[in-house]
Amino acid sequence: MSYLHLKVPPTRDVRLRPCNAFGGKLDDLVEGQKTGCLCTSGRTFAQTTGCQLTLSMGMAASIPNSVVIYHGPVGCGAASLALAGVSKQSQQARGNDDAVGRVWFSTNLSEVDVVAGGEQKLEDAIFEADRRFKPHAIFIGNTCVPAIIGDDIDSVAERIQDRVNARIIPLHCEGFKTRFVATAYDIVYHGILRHLLDDKKPAPALTEAEQLAYDEKKKRTVNLLNVGSMSHVDEIELVRILNALGLEVNVYPCFTAAEKFVKVKDAALSVSICATHDDYFVEHLQEHYGIPYVLNTIPIGTDNVRLWLLDIADFFNIREQALELIKKEETELRAALAPLLPLFKDKRAFVSTGEIRAGAQACMLENDLGMQVIGIRAHHYDHFGEIVFESFKGRDEIPINVAANQPYEQVNLLRRLKPDLFLGHGNSNVWAAKQGVPVLPIYGPQNNYLGYKGIFEVAIRLERILKNSNYYNTLGDTTTLPYKEEWYDLDPFTYIRQTGEAA
Amino acid sequence: MSSFIEKPRFACPLGGALATVGALPRVVPILHSSQGCGGNSNGAIMGAAGHLGSGYCGGASVPASGISEQQIVFGGITRLEEQLQSTTEIIDADLFVVITGCTAEIIGDDVPAVVRAYNADRNSRAPLIHATAAGFKGNSYFGYDSVLQSLFRDYVVPAEKKKKHHVNLWGAPPAFDVFWEGNLLELRRILEGIGLTVNSFFTNRDSLPVIRNSAEAELNIVVSPVNGVPAAEVFKEVHGVDHFITDLPIGAKATETFVREVAQRLDLCKKQVETFLEAENKRYYHFFNRISDSYCDLDLQRYTVIVADTTYAVALTRFAVKELGWLPTLVAITDPIEDDKKPPFLDLFEGILDNPKATVVYETDASQVSKHLFKRWPQSDGGKYSRPFSPSFVIGSRLDKDFADSIKAGHLSVAYPISNRFVLNRAYAGYTGALHLVEDIFSVLVANR
Repeated sequence: MSYLHLKVPPTRDVRLRPCNAFGGKLDDLVEGQKTGCLCTSGRTFAQTTGCQLTLSMGMAASIPNSVVIYHGPVGCGAASLALAGVSKQSQQARGNDDAVGRVWFSTNLSEVDVVAGGEQKLEDAIFEADRRFKPHAIFIGNTCVPAIIGDDIDSVAERIQDRVNARIIPLHCEGFKTRFVATAYDIVYHGILRHLLDDKKPAPALTEAEQLAYDEKKKRTVNLLNVGSMSHVDEIELVRILNALGLEVNVYPCFTAAEKFVKVKDAALSVSICATHDDYFVEHLQEHYGIPYVLNTIPIGTDNVRLWLLDIADFFNIREQALELIKKEETELRAALAPLLPLFKDKRAFVSTGEIRAGAQACMLENDLGMQVIGIRAHHYDHFGEIVFESFKGRDEIPINVAANQPYEQVNLLRRLKPDLFLGHGNSNVWAAKQGVPVLPIYGPQNNYLGYKGIFEVAIRLERILKNSNYYNTLGDTTTLPYKEEWYDLDPFTYIRQTGEAA
Repeated sequence: MSSFIEKPRFACPLGGALATVGALPRVVPILHSSQGCGGNSNGAIMGAAGHLGSGYCGGASVPASGISEQQIVFGGITRLEEQLQSTTEIIDADLFVVITGCTAEIIGDDVPAVVRAYNADRNSRAPLIHATAAGFKGNSYFGYDSVLQSLFRDYVVPAEKKKKHHVNLWGAPPAFDVFWEGNLLELRRILEGIGLTVNSFFTNRDSLPVIRNSAEAELNIVVSPVNGVPAAEVFKEVHGVDHFITDLPIGAKATETFVREVAQRLDLCKKQVETFLEAENKRYYHFFNRISDSYCDLDLQRYTVIVADTTYAVALTRFAVKELGWLPTLVAITDPIEDDKKPPFLDLFEGILDNPKATVVYETDASQVSKHLFKRWPQSDGGKYSRPFSPSFVIGSRLDKDFADSIKAGHLSVAYPISNRFVLNRAYAGYTGALHLVEDIFSVLVANR
């Protein structure tokens, strides 16, 4: 069902009803999620997380030649300050030579604005952003305060759009509106679907030959949907194996110039690498433009790369060709991995990240590297997760913890489990490191994790880290964590609350 | 009327408060705000502050009530009380600070009442104070000040009797002065060198018992014309301790002036002060003058553009002019001012700049700094006898690097935000700090040799 007629799409809370507070066995999680009860769980002790604003604006700001306006008090976009140089590098890596990195404004709402409203400031900021930077798109990120006081950012956009060259795209990413930051992806895709997909100028008429060529090309073109946490080398690797199947690839949405979005309709299939990011987008592309999609898994580890490739191959009826490619790649990969395997045998690993990546990466560590996964944390869990956790079903000895960060639970778990290795998301890694556990970040803007070469790259980095863990050991010896000793005697999931106010 | 800002060089009060509480010894913040405020502030106070880490209980560990739609509609007190209870069960701290953000303050939760009730019945639990930090009340410097005010009003105990030669020192806000800890430690060292006992709140040498008794001080020293100044007024009002507002001293000349002013205020023994200053000067010039050969042979004087907050703008300009012998063509102060108000603090540049009114400008927006420069020094047309803005150097924040590159000037990140350097205990203030600053600036000048 399409939500594009709405100003604001439904939040994940309502649309997918995920869970972000759970601790226990995988099978209980999978079954519990199906009953719909888990989505009301919360915590009586909670630690801070991000909100959908940062994720939304991260995605929007990656788009070159765009400006992002945080409509709110001055702090809402402050996380951008840590990324001053990084954004530019990432944009340049994708061939945007004149990239300037992230450009953002804050409407800097003051106490007076809380009373009188901030729409005028937003107008002023939009005009100035357009004048100063001449961007193709101006994204407006709405925040808690204007949402509460009733600023109507859609009206502002509508009434001044014809006086502004850039496309103004309002994004309803107010922090308090959802308990699941992944709603951010729906919000940005909603903006993209509503504002960037139609050609303002009519397309030039094609000759018959040109039309034929266009149709032929479209038949074997896929939209590859990337995510902000992917690196350019990840993209290159996936494009490599899709090209090997004779497919042409257009990459969206991160780091893609705003003007290029109109071509998302010129594909036979949309390929997602993460259901958490893309289900909203691909469903709407299918409904509005008739483009089917595959969405089941993330191509991390040979099992999931195989699943991903075969889903795509089956659509194009080239399963045989895909199986041949998979066989060739896996043979090459296994030969390369062979010398590393003795080091990894019996190493006990703990994985913590987004739902889809967590399942796939855990599977990769066991099946490709011969490690033993002793615990898994996922930021949230919804029905899309079942398929990536398939190989862990029935393994009751592996605790599954669903939490957006909440390091206090992680610290308790790790004290008990004592892993040899921790692979985690930014901001979580350090809390394992502070317990003396060596860490590999589970994604990064410069490294390859996806595809076949990604498996090898993760392996050689793990080898390097295991070879000298002095830094982490010393950190563990010299850090005092903020928890009372009594906490470690309690069940790690003591503060998860099943009923009452979800928090 | 505050205006929109392009790339604001600060966080909101909540971000400032978080960084400030995080720098206090064994003090843990509890956020009462929307769920994302802590996570979003972390980028600003960690990655953009010289890669300052999460510390004891920062980063993803900050306890938070996580106000969501439910609380906005029905009120957040129940959630806060629950969070207070659970936090005190599981977190080991000597003081907790509830920091309220936008949503908590808009929905009107009566947090002071909750705090009062908690403290009245706290038993063995650590004490609790409240710092107001709604995002629309100002910026991160406001948050720093707010935490100080709460400490002074609600945690520091009254002291009728003052202790001679005891002073409190503040004005360098944690994270937003990226070199705050090194700066405070160096200034402590100097004040101790003239016989004072110092409480500086936010360094590894500070402790809560001393902070609690800081009303025994004879004098409060605030090393910034703006940061922590309202809090100094509160300290005077509540505890009767006078304050001395001054600039952040960088370099031998400014530090000597600073020391003499403090000595005069406190009526210190002249001999001890002079002996100390003589030794410090000797040591300082022993190292500082070492740059002389290369300074001469490579002609390392520069035209400079300084882009910083008020405190660093004044301090760096003075150091650049008086000690480096450099020529500031433009000083851009990045703090916001009201459009219709006269630019404040121009008088602080008297005696340093020939024409402060012409050289100093207030500009919050990163991309606009270049236009202020070109107004003062028109871009060269490349003609045979044209005068390019060269040789030049930009002392600013990380955000000013693109501007520096565009005018082919050297660049060093000194002012916040700094994401392209790690800062641990490095000082830029005082004597030792200035030597570091010289090393860092001049290293850029010879980076390609």
